[in-house]
Amino acid sequence: MKPVLGIAGYVLREAMSRKFILAFMVGITLVLTVVALSLRIEVVDGALAASRLFGEEIRSSIRSVDVALRPVYQAAAFLVFYGGILFGIVACSDFAPSLMSPGRIEHLLALPIQRWHLLAGTFLGVMVLALGGTLYGTTGLVLIFGVKAGYWTAGPLIAGLLACVGFAAVYAVMLTAATLVRSAALCAASGFVFLVGGIIAGYRQQMTPFFEEGFGREAFRAVTLVLPRLSALAVAAGDIAASTPLEVRSLGLLLLGVLVFGFGALAVGFWRFEGKDY
Amino acid sequence: MDNRGRRRLWLVVAAMLFVVAAVLMFTGQGEEPAMETPKVEFPRRMRAPERERAERRRTHVLPVQVDAGTQERARPRDPLLAALPRGEGKTAVVIEANALRHSPIGELLLDCLMRDGGKRLQELRNLSGVDPLQDLDRLVITDEGMMLSGNFGNAKFKELLGERVSMDYGEGARVYEPGDMTVTRPDGSTARGRSEAAVATWNNELLVIGKSPDEVKAVVDRVEGRGPDEPPAISEGSTYGEMYGVLSVDQLARLLPKEQAELADRIRRVAQNVELHVDASGDVAMVAEVRGANGDEVTDLGKTLGAALSMARIKAQAEGEKDLAQLLDFARVQPDGTSFKLEMAVPLDVIKQRLAFCKEERSAAEAAER
Repeated sequence: MKPVLGIAGYVLREAMSRKFILAFMVGITLVLTVVALSLRIEVVDGALAASRLFGEEIRSSIRSVDVALRPVYQAAAFLVFYGGILFGIVACSDFAPSLMSPGRIEHLLALPIQRWHLLAGTFLGVMVLALGGTLYGTTGLVLIFGVKAGYWTAGPLIAGLLACVGFAAVYAVMLTAATLVRSAALCAASGFVFLVGGIIAGYRQQMTPFFEEGFGREAFRAVTLVLPRLSALAVAAGDIAASTPLEVRSLGLLLLGVLVFGFGALAVGFWRFEGKDY
Repeated sequence: MDNRGRRRLWLVVAAMLFVVAAVLMFTGQGEEPAMETPKVEFPRRMRAPERERAERRRTHVLPVQVDAGTQERARPRDPLLAALPRGEGKTAVVIEANALRHSPIGELLLDCLMRDGGKRLQELRNLSGVDPLQDLDRLVITDEGMMLSGNFGNAKFKELLGERVSMDYGEGARVYEPGDMTVTRPDGSTARGRSEAAVATWNNELLVIGKSPDEVKAVVDRVEGRGPDEPPAISEGSTYGEMYGVLSVDQLARLLPKEQAELADRIRRVAQNVELHVDASGDVAMVAEVRGANGDEVTDLGKTLGAALSMARIKAQAEGEKDLAQLLDFARVQPDGTSFKLEMAVPLDVIKQRLAFCKEERSAAEAAER
């Protein structure tokens, strides 16, 4: 386990040295600060009575604060989920290819560690990074609305954690792609393809009737059966953030399934990396 | 383990993990269609069928007015709307009995009405000659009494009210003064009673029940164009929903429970007029528009009502009353200057659950009769 942690630390140090990740953190902070300073919410006995954004009164109805803020939390959950994954794909696409770049990989392979430790460490490092960013953004959001509206909910935080699990599955595929082709662009493309595939897989039930009965429909069902159901996870994240009933039958099983898919993709990467000559 | 063996192991592990992941995701998401989020349509304006309904009801043409040598042909109008009280601060609530009867909630209420297998309803039909499910169109409740509109061609008014002093009034009305009445039961026996209400019938279309003959005569006067020039309490443009009308502020305040005495007092001080619309074509949705003279005071009243609803919802949630909390999810107050709209809804499924016992009892009663 120690070598894996060592590589994870190495990846984190590498990330910190990159200016755009720091810029992203500053960006999140700025957005949260602007929202905190410009938003004024008047709450009377748990009802959202009036809201002002940048001094302008937002024309809205008076209703329970948690009901009134539901669309805001839901939108925030979707933004965190899809926005976080998309940013993760772009920001982390060249970690693995640069780790496997000529000169560097030989140095790493010379270390007294097993090959799969390298991939597992990279995966862990990136996940810690994603988790940190998500926790920072969502905690800020929870604090702002909690202080302003007096309505405290861990919903957005949980939604952010679900997004991290979704990103784990996508990044595992990206890491595996990096063992096949040492290209940041292809790595990001594979992540993007799986993100789209994951969105489709979550809506497979609704999309199946669009395919003609026979081979096409069965092929669609077979492919989407295996893909991580990211959109289902995003909808669940939105439901949790908005404190509305979950549409999925069991969130625990779905979450575990997406995570296990990620481990499966990672195992393919281990298989490929073990047999590769550098 | 050599490198080849280790690689084979990773591949087997990957295949197994993908299978496990597929099973977990399939089970976790479920293949049944997603539950629809309840959506409630609030009666906020007149819709096309209601506009057509209002047009169909313009059946009464007033006699031609001769004024300074010119003949002005009056537009046909709805006799029931014409019969409504005139002026500010009056109460007039119209229940669209026929539309309500054919709505989902109407079906449920009918089950409750016929829990005895429909015996009492049949008794009423035999006694009055009126079938409430077929002949009754609208029912109006006012400060002065009640009005019913529909087809009363088969009604046995003369048999029911024959003992009372009665007179023809206006062009098509007959007014019955308060007095004794005899009712013949289905078994042939008779029952006598006294009613203090005055009754008027108009063209077999309207039945007016009031406190005194003068009151019912005033209603007939309004129908036949002899009333004041003020517009009726409900304009034609406001005849939407299955129940609609205006409530006097005093009446509204009286509807509130004793614990809300302060709120009731505030409503009396701030509000001038309350317009109500209830839609029962699907879920039961209510919109109440409260108007007042002072915009700030009206907005504050709206905030107080919104807060009261919010507190009720939080209480329902805390006490585990999921149904009530769900109903109050839809509750909101929409301020708009010197008025605000209060919206509340009861999903049909909740009413179905609550009234399920009526259907069971009706089925049991009908089965027992067979």
